[in-house]
Amino acid sequence: MADHAMTRRAALGVLTVLAGGALTLGGPAPAAAQALGQNEPLDAALKRVFGGRPMKDGTGMIKLDIPLIAENGAVVPVSVEVNAPMTPQSYVKSIYIVADKNRIPIVTRVTLTPASGQAYMGANIRLGETTDVRAIAEQSDGTLWALKREVKVTVGGCGG
Amino acid sequence: MSETGKVRLRVPSSIKAGDVIRVRCLVIHPMERIERDKAGKIVDRKYQYIDTVTVTYLGKVVATFETTQSVSENPFFAFAVKATDPGKLTVSFHDTHGQTYEGSVDIAFS
Repeated sequence: MADHAMTRRAALGVLTVLAGGALTLGGPAPAAAQALGQNEPLDAALKRVFGGRPMKDGTGMIKLDIPLIAENGAVVPVSVEVNAPMTPQSYVKSIYIVADKNRIPIVTRVTLTPASGQAYMGANIRLGETTDVRAIAEQSDGTLWALKREVKVTVGGCGG
Repeated sequence: MSETGKVRLRVPSSIKAGDVIRVRCLVIHPMERIERDKAGKIVDRKYQYIDTVTVTYLGKVVATFETTQSVSENPFFAFAVKATDPGKLTVSFHDTHGQTYEGSVDIAFS
């Protein structure tokens, strides 16, 4: 967690953004997780979590496996595999799943270690409506890779 | 749900030393979603959903999932781990009501 905050700080450098970033990543894991899932539009969520850092096109780097059409938005299986080495020098630090039109756009953040052996994660997520789903991978040096795919949702699953 | 907190873990049936294995896990949990009243305002209460999932192998944390309410009911997660030594793999789920649900499996080589 601590080095996460450090790289962000180094990358940002701008005071105003820093204030927002410190709010998200200041506390221990549970507090950060609570801040992670907020009811906010996509732009605000991306800005809050990534602080406007540039993202490289992850085509060929990220393999995002998600159905093209999800009949039931309440349970959509998604899996992400990142084609990158997992050595202590360079590894995939975290994988984010973002559903653009969900009320809570940040679905999950997975923090990995070199002991994982492979940058892979899978989960069942909710999708409120037809939306783009993004997979964002962050490497240990702070490089961000993003890939998005549209998923058509027949019956929404976020309710409320 | 009386079954809340039941954890299921699945590892490949045959594992060789040094293999990167994919583990699948599931917990029975309501993962309450945000409720709204008739006026469309969010009902403000402490929703019960899982916010942290920690994977521990040989006493070391291998992966952490931080989850939000955008994750399905009875959440399922998959991850990879490099099986270096025989030992215990534990997955613990922590929810916003302070409950912790745990499941573990012994990694043995065949």
